[in-house]
Amino acid sequence: MMMRKNLLSLLFAVIIGMQAFAQDKTVSGKVTSADDGTPLPGVSVSVKGTSRGTTTDASGVYKISVSGNATLIFSFIGFTSQQVGVNNRTIIDLQLASDAQELSEAVVVGYGTQSRRTLTGSQASVKGSEIATMPTNSFDKALQGRAAGVQILGANGTPGGAAQVRVRGVGTIKGGTDPLYVVDGVQINSNSGSAAFTSSNPLNYLNPNDIESIEVLKDAASAAIYGAAAANGVVLITTKKGKSGATKVSFDYFTGMVEPTQYLDVLNTQEWIAVRNEALINQSPTTEPGAAMRTTLGAIRLDPALTTDQIAALPTYDWQKESYVSGRTNNYSISLNGGSEKSTFYLSGSYNGTDANVRNVDYKGGNINAKISNKVTSRLTVDNSINLSSFIQRGQFGGPGGGSFLGSPTFSAPLILPHNPFYKDDGTYYGTPADGGIAGILNQNVLMVSDLNKIESRVNQAIASTVLTYKIMKGLSFRPSASIDYRFIKGFNFQDPRTADAFNVRGRIQNQNTENINFILNAVVNYDKQISSVHNISALAGAEYRKDQSENVQQSAEGIPTPQFTVAGAAANPITTFASWSAFKKAGVFGRVSYDYAGKYLLGLTARYDGSSRFGANNLWGFFPGISAGWDLSQEAFLKNNAYVNQLKLRVSYGSLGADQIGNFDSRGLYGGGFNYGGVSGIAPTQLANPNLRWEQNITTNFAIDYGLFNNRVQGSLEYFIRTSKDLILDRPVTWLSGYSTISENVGELQNKGLEFDIKTVNIDKSANNRGFKWTTSFNFTQIDNKVTKLYDTLTTLPGRAVDGWIKIGYPVNSIYTAEYAGVNPATGRAMWYDNNGNIIYRLAGNPDSYSKIIGGQIPKYYGGLTNTFSFKGFDLEVFLNYEFGRTVFNNQSAFMAENGGRLFNTLRSIYENRWTTPGQITTVPRPFNGNAETLGSGITAGSRFYEDASFIRVKTLTFGYNFSRDLLKKVKIDRARLYVQGYNLYTWSKWTGFDSEFINLGSGNNGAIPQPRTITFGLQLGL
Amino acid sequence: MKGKYSFKIAVLGLVLTFASCTDLLDVEPRASIDSVTALTTEDAVNAAVNGIYDRLQSTNLYGRDLVAIPEALADNGRATNKSGRLNPEYQNQVNAHFIHWQTSYFAINQANLVLDALPKVEKMTQANKDFVEAQALFIRGLLYFELMRAYAYEPSVEIKEASKGGVPLLKSGVVDATQIKLESRASINDVYESIYGDLTASIAKFTSSGRTATASFANKTAAQAMFSRVALYRGDYTNAAKYATDALAAGSVGRFQTRDTYVSAWRAANHPESIFEIQYQTNENIGVNTSLQTSYTTLVASGNRTQTGGFGDLVPTKALLDAYESEKDADGKTIVDVRRSLYELGTTGRGTAEIECTKFLGRSGQVNLDNIPVIRVSEMYLNRAEALARSGNAAGALTDLNVIRTRAGLPAATGLTGAALITEIMKQRRLELAFEGHRFFDMKRLGMDITKAAPVQSLAFTDFRMLAPIPIREIQANANLKQNTGY
Repeated sequence: MMMRKNLLSLLFAVIIGMQAFAQDKTVSGKVTSADDGTPLPGVSVSVKGTSRGTTTDASGVYKISVSGNATLIFSFIGFTSQQVGVNNRTIIDLQLASDAQELSEAVVVGYGTQSRRTLTGSQASVKGSEIATMPTNSFDKALQGRAAGVQILGANGTPGGAAQVRVRGVGTIKGGTDPLYVVDGVQINSNSGSAAFTSSNPLNYLNPNDIESIEVLKDAASAAIYGAAAANGVVLITTKKGKSGATKVSFDYFTGMVEPTQYLDVLNTQEWIAVRNEALINQSPTTEPGAAMRTTLGAIRLDPALTTDQIAALPTYDWQKESYVSGRTNNYSISLNGGSEKSTFYLSGSYNGTDANVRNVDYKGGNINAKISNKVTSRLTVDNSINLSSFIQRGQFGGPGGGSFLGSPTFSAPLILPHNPFYKDDGTYYGTPADGGIAGILNQNVLMVSDLNKIESRVNQAIASTVLTYKIMKGLSFRPSASIDYRFIKGFNFQDPRTADAFNVRGRIQNQNTENINFILNAVVNYDKQISSVHNISALAGAEYRKDQSENVQQSAEGIPTPQFTVAGAAANPITTFASWSAFKKAGVFGRVSYDYAGKYLLGLTARYDGSSRFGANNLWGFFPGISAGWDLSQEAFLKNNAYVNQLKLRVSYGSLGADQIGNFDSRGLYGGGFNYGGVSGIAPTQLANPNLRWEQNITTNFAIDYGLFNNRVQGSLEYFIRTSKDLILDRPVTWLSGYSTISENVGELQNKGLEFDIKTVNIDKSANNRGFKWTTSFNFTQIDNKVTKLYDTLTTLPGRAVDGWIKIGYPVNSIYTAEYAGVNPATGRAMWYDNNGNIIYRLAGNPDSYSKIIGGQIPKYYGGLTNTFSFKGFDLEVFLNYEFGRTVFNNQSAFMAENGGRLFNTLRSIYENRWTTPGQITTVPRPFNGNAETLGSGITAGSRFYEDASFIRVKTLTFGYNFSRDLLKKVKIDRARLYVQGYNLYTWSKWTGFDSEFINLGSGNNGAIPQPRTITFGLQLGL
Repeated sequence: MKGKYSFKIAVLGLVLTFASCTDLLDVEPRASIDSVTALTTEDAVNAAVNGIYDRLQSTNLYGRDLVAIPEALADNGRATNKSGRLNPEYQNQVNAHFIHWQTSYFAINQANLVLDALPKVEKMTQANKDFVEAQALFIRGLLYFELMRAYAYEPSVEIKEASKGGVPLLKSGVVDATQIKLESRASINDVYESIYGDLTASIAKFTSSGRTATASFANKTAAQAMFSRVALYRGDYTNAAKYATDALAAGSVGRFQTRDTYVSAWRAANHPESIFEIQYQTNENIGVNTSLQTSYTTLVASGNRTQTGGFGDLVPTKALLDAYESEKDADGKTIVDVRRSLYELGTTGRGTAEIECTKFLGRSGQVNLDNIPVIRVSEMYLNRAEALARSGNAAGALTDLNVIRTRAGLPAATGLTGAALITEIMKQRRLELAFEGHRFFDMKRLGMDITKAAPVQSLAFTDFRMLAPIPIREIQANANLKQNTGY
């Protein structure tokens, strides 16, 4: 290649040399990249208005003969073209700025690459460099707010914890909503990552510094090539490869502080005693006040005879400060890449240690990544890669999703009665189980529980692949590959015999091991052809086979001799053993044809025929086609070379995708084991058969405009989509008289409609000399309407759903159906609700339909991000905001904290201060009442009262950096060096009353979920 | 061209690989088996019977609800609100009631599948088949009875205008969707006839099988004892007395305890009086939230008030405790009733210390792990005493009554007849079987109003809350099913 280019340059030079006689001036110069100052070979240099031109040589140098008043046009793929007047100069050196959106670059698409200019599907791109410094462990969380149509929420604030990624809304009711992750062609099993004892993310294995680019395939036209697995979108991750040349070394380091974003303002000892007393008196007004106070004090193990002065002198202990703590984060990443003409390599290693903002919860992990590419012959290339990773997380008591566990610091710390001290005078824990616990319903010393228990999960993972690329002839290649994604998850839960939950059984040890093997074989044939220089055809055909198998073994044992023994073998009583095995197989053939006429008229056809063992015997196979077309107006004569319109592409696509995220054996009729009795094994029927069970289907229609204006200083896309999800699998209830609860059937339908808009602008650019001021902005916005459109029979509402999982035609999936809170009766201080006739009621009794209505949904209606970047003389400042609106979630932590002495635990100060105390008072906080339900009244936290607006705008990152000047670095033989400081989750605007509204309800709401942390990091990036 | 040739081979290879794999997408589960062919061997049928017993362990059935909720709904138990559990039942809140509809019908389907499969099982002796059949019939009869006493009126006290009949009767198993029947509620009489039929057949099959069993499994004595209880509920006093006599005569399971062993019997892993007792292994521990031990007491061991275990959510009412201490001797001193020893002061670990029932105290050697008696011998004396009293045999009734009284340490009753006799039998029944899941059902079958002390309100027999609500989803899924009045 290189040689041919040189030859070509030589030829040009000769021709130009010959023509030189006719010209009056020779201009020469060097073209370099504005990004990093490196010479750019192969830049086309042409004389405006003529057919004359040349290209730069290997060192970026060109020479051309022109007239003194000519204009030179410099153009190069991936860079913004520039026109320069000669003005009688003989030397013109030039820096070309990279094209902000790289309109012409090759982008990764399913099983191949394609020029961005000819893309007709809907695809969002994020560069690895944009997210490399984010302190998130896994790249999915770093994508939050970066791509239109992609909504991401961290499950909680656990370092290395899980995240929820949703591409274009929720397209299923029962199935999974995760997109398919494909890393360098390997379909990753993203389900088996949840270790039982910690919140864990299967994507932690990938070092964000290794990521070159991330592509999110959003419509059927782009994703149909992944057929039955593509309905929730496909995320293609491409990692960095070796490049031939001298070995380059990159070193990236950051270190910093992880801290809680806030502490909740709760009552002190005196206030709590007062409000508890009030609650008792409100319940029985005839009680003599002194008796009520004696009851209050006695119940929390204080001397009932304490005087007012003695009560005033009682201390207050802040359990939150002891439980929610600051920690450290450290991240090291190093990579080497280089190679010869025949062989290239990319080697990297990383280590990350991050504490949570909660006591005794942290993450430690690292990976080693090796990619080697070898040209065996001129036709055959072998690519091998292996990524080994291991990480260990220490988790919190009670499990990954939190929960109302008395021993969990995240749940209990704000609720523990504040007169309880942490330690006894001798420095040992106060309120051990042997001492009868601490006072109040939250009777465990959570510091002790947190310090003594050991809750861990380790994930070891190996992902390896071998790819052969064989060039059969020009334009035709054959590429078979084999890959494996192996994961071993080891959960360990040691409950110390000194802690409450294991005190009576003298310690408990649980082990859980899960092994997941995901094996993929595929082969792809690629064909590219240009006919009479305007017809470009590219075709691809392939086949794929995948087997994914998961095996789980668990045991628990009780009764250990002393706390030093932390293996189950030392325990006296084996309690349980459990094992499970599950697997699925998939096979498919697929193809794609792309055609364009001179880059103007674009057409794409994609299809996949897919089969999966998960479906019923009558419906194993499905067909998923996609068609797309585009028209790039900017390539038409009337717009070509127009200085204001650089791109104007209309796109439309239509197609069908399958969803297969259901249980591996959901279609089978089964008798299951484990129904044991009296030490003898037993079996029982567990599932009704449905041999007709088939894929859920997503039909997507997409309309879009891609634009690039004013020399590409303004560019972006506007898209409108309709995603109809059909044949949704629902567990259709059958009468329990049958011996079963449900049968899985393809009966539901829902629709997501939405708008996606993104824009990138260069507002000010004085950076032509690389050191001037530059300000760029990028903004993205997504609006989504989610609506259930069909259920089975004549149903308008799916039966048997939870209050916050309501499925009703015309409303979003998992809407919230409850009674609207009507505030407090000013005369009595009692909590009130509205029934469905708008009448005030005090008790939610009888048929829930008489007082419930849909009060909100859990799917955000709008979300996106805004980035402003400023750079000046080597300094850069980036402010990245992300936002989300329209999500309503139950705040059960705040519901607990709103009891105002109704039970024996603490309360939020804002609730206390706004409580009803006197007739005529207008407030939303009912009077304190022992037990929280007035006579013939419902509990004060019932209904809509604690379904809160979880909308937020967040300063996700604020980064201030300095790039050392290249000249200075040259002297110490360093290519590039950057220092930065970054704040993550710096500030949040939200109406949420708890710690943080960013969490996924994993079954227990936000109770005990570790809140999102604030992280401040200092980083260094070096290139040698 | 060499390249083209190898390309053809590769494509051919690919096609052949796909084509030759007829099992390309075959995956068989390893933790389950196909339901259509599951019950074709003796091993499988035996395992399937065991799978029915497993359901009985559910907290909805004997694991907690059928034992604790009758005490909370009626006048024996008072909720302490320490965990909040059983408080709604204690307050007789609407919908706070029994919820064993689902579990019971699941188990009934399992029993039906076993009964359907038995004739087709090869290489199994008739005696073994009879033994399996006897067990399946016993559990089916037992569960229809449990459904009836929660969801329907007993025939003698049926409130005609409120009654919606018995419960749906299903007698054949379901493995695929086409076999599902939307059955309506059978008449009360039909269901009782069916229960009689199942228990009669069960007794016969136990006899013909020649097999005996311990109280841990269904057995002939259990079927007889259950027949006695069902007959008592039906108001069929002849059979109630007859089958009580049969059960007492058998003697192979369930030994009547003396006063000396009365308390220690409640500390043994299996209560020696049990005729049928649900077994729990260590891995089946119901745990600190809903086990009977945690429901009834904060103690982990009798007499040890320093260590707190469970919540102690339901404690004896003052009325119940007073009833144990209601008889005085000649000197006016309270006569000590041995049964009162099963109540003692709990710990302060969950709040105020209360006097708590200690019948379930981790008898199986682990906290919150108790085997749960469903029928024990003492009940047979009480059943027969009541049946005889109600059929005019006061002398016979007194004899049986005094077996219970004297064992408790009370003097033998003399001269009682008519209503006074029945009142005393009912009182001894309450004291003997308190916190074992009888009180609410005994009051309901006799049409008694439930009197409760303030702050909760009493419940008249005519109140709709005497019957449990059928789960709403069942009404929605089955148009032929009528909900109980009031819900």
